[in-house]
Amino acid sequence: MRDPISILAVGVSCPGGTGPAALEAQWPSRRVSQITNPAITREVATIDLAAEPFNRWRMRPRLRRASPLSHHLIEAVAQILEARPDIDLSRVGLVGSFFIGCLVYSVRFYKGLTTDGRRFASPILFPETVVNTPLSHVVSELKIGGPVYSQTGDTSCWSTALRTAALWLANDDVEHVIVAGGEEFDPVFLDVMHSARWFGSRPEAGVSEGAGAVLLGKKSSQALAHITRIVDGFAFRNRAQAAKAAESLLAEFDPVIPVADTPANWTRRLAAKPLSGRMLSNCCGVPKFEAFTATCAWNTIRAVHSAEPRLVVPFLGLSQQMGAIEIFR
Amino acid sequence: MKSSNEVVVTGWGCVSPLGGNTESTWSRLVAGEGVRAPITCIPVEGCRVTDGAEAVMPDLDWLPKKSISRLSRAARLALPAAQEAMADAGILDTNGRSIFPRLEMSLSTTANGMELGEEFLKGVWAGSFRHQTSRVSRYPAHQQVADLQQNLGFTGPAMVVSNACASGANAIGHAADLVRGGFADIVLAGGFEALCELVYCGFDCLQALAPDQCRPFDTNRRGLMLGEGAAFLVIESAVHAAARGAKVKGRIVGYGHATDTHHITQPEPTGAPLETCIRRALVQASLQPADIGHINAHGTGTPFNDSAEAAAFARVFTGNPAPRLVSTKAAIGHTLGAAGTLEAVFSLLALETRRIPPQIHTSDPIPEVAGWLARPGEVLEKPVVLSVNLGFGGSNAALLLAAA
Repeated sequence: MRDPISILAVGVSCPGGTGPAALEAQWPSRRVSQITNPAITREVATIDLAAEPFNRWRMRPRLRRASPLSHHLIEAVAQILEARPDIDLSRVGLVGSFFIGCLVYSVRFYKGLTTDGRRFASPILFPETVVNTPLSHVVSELKIGGPVYSQTGDTSCWSTALRTAALWLANDDVEHVIVAGGEEFDPVFLDVMHSARWFGSRPEAGVSEGAGAVLLGKKSSQALAHITRIVDGFAFRNRAQAAKAAESLLAEFDPVIPVADTPANWTRRLAAKPLSGRMLSNCCGVPKFEAFTATCAWNTIRAVHSAEPRLVVPFLGLSQQMGAIEIFR
Repeated sequence: MKSSNEVVVTGWGCVSPLGGNTESTWSRLVAGEGVRAPITCIPVEGCRVTDGAEAVMPDLDWLPKKSISRLSRAARLALPAAQEAMADAGILDTNGRSIFPRLEMSLSTTANGMELGEEFLKGVWAGSFRHQTSRVSRYPAHQQVADLQQNLGFTGPAMVVSNACASGANAIGHAADLVRGGFADIVLAGGFEALCELVYCGFDCLQALAPDQCRPFDTNRRGLMLGEGAAFLVIESAVHAAARGAKVKGRIVGYGHATDTHHITQPEPTGAPLETCIRRALVQASLQPADIGHINAHGTGTPFNDSAEAAAFARVFTGNPAPRLVSTKAAIGHTLGAAGTLEAVFSLLALETRRIPPQIHTSDPIPEVAGWLARPGEVLEKPVVLSVNLGFGGSNAALLLAAA
């Protein structure tokens, strides 16, 4: 990035409620069985879309059949627009970052065609399986008129999405960009993470869902905070490479700047060595639930509200690359 | 755009249903050949339509057999296309590794390694643990990113855009933006898409698949034909290309993108959002519609897409000579996340060879573009080509490509 960019507003939808304060609330959770082995249960914190304050989108015609991910995203983005009614929606871009994407309807659609027969696959469900459908719903309902990208990757694609926003702002493509990270929960995801052996060393780890969003603009005195650096593209393919990637990533930043610790992140232990030599901030220390790109968004928002004047927020991707940003308040 | 960095293309490569590399694909495309056959690589029994365009899978004999067996079908398509592009641009060393240890990527796909995700789900429902770890770890898009980086010897930032069928044009446009904005000197841009059961059945259940040939812009068009493939381009600043003595093969002079909020699967009937994209690309390129000699259209062959697209073209080119129009999807099928990248490569090849692929299977064109469709043996008269893509969710993108 060429110039610092400003975080002008934030939005959150999480199991603890809506708004940034909900990140620090006690999240309701339950035990959910894995499908392959129902005897194994995992702690899960999900959002009840039928309950307040999440249910305000349910009766919108376009959202009646929309995925939970669409609902999480629109709530987070809407909070931003409600906080900043002054911005020109025709000059707002939207970048989404997703690790899992539209899992609930993809599983349901595929289950339907494999059990009922391919000829009976659901034409209603299929469009909702497409990765960019949730953001399409968001821009349609909220009348956002700028460019839209749906970006995928491991959790670190949050930093890639922030970089896309910085590019659009630097090139004067738009006046503002909303970057949103969101995930939805389906029980099959417990089997995914079990098969990927992510629960192996973290049996207490929990899975969550929701969304977080930040409104970005060129450097402004009205900002909540500024992003002064975005660093990404530290790739890895195994544990040894991950430890090295974390070391290289953190070496990019001034060692006197505290690093936001992310104990809920499942790659965190691979970064233990380089982190041990850094001053750590526990602003992202709770809760224990991981919601991947949504967690990256939430950690960014927590860093914005932390007491630290400067902070490095790392996004330690689960299986492919790492990135980080430097926040200045 | 405020930066004046000129964006050039120094290499490209592709894998398509017409061939396992650019040369074989292009020679058959300009000869007016097309592919349509019963699908055998994925299960489609019971679908209304069971034909499509499977890619010619390259051997990948430069990779160890064990490595090949671990790759998703999407990665098997992406790797040879990326390797060809990098070799074409002269950025591979004698061992087939990138000469740049850090090389940014801008990629597109819609289904990742979906066949592995499908097998994983079947395993879950069957209560099986066998092979599940490898399936789940090789399914996501970032694993295809890792496959490219590991096998071609580089690391660096990678952006994967999944804007449905416009993704490929977005990936190239984003790469051009990165160079224009000074965020990168050189970017490997590409798209890849493999046929899979979930997506095939999805289009089949929407009754969007053509029961016979795909006939873009024909009054009797009845739907699209699904295909698969991959295409990659090496995109860099003119200064960077000159500094390393690279041959410039083409230029990216304009990019416009916009979102259509009309409907989740249908374009706005007047094509207004696409028109906006094209006009934005023209402004960025400081060009007029009259400068464009050829359009590589999205042209899926569906009733809704082609009528909206033709309406947009008719308005943009009102009062100007009609550019020569082709939808290459009639020949290779709709390759979804790879479509925009394959069509950009075809556009650049048209600029390089001055040959335009003929529109096949369309005998009764709709009035808006009657007389525009390219015939066999046509020569490109102007040095600018427009390539456009539209996708589910209202994604629209337009690229303006120019001769070197």
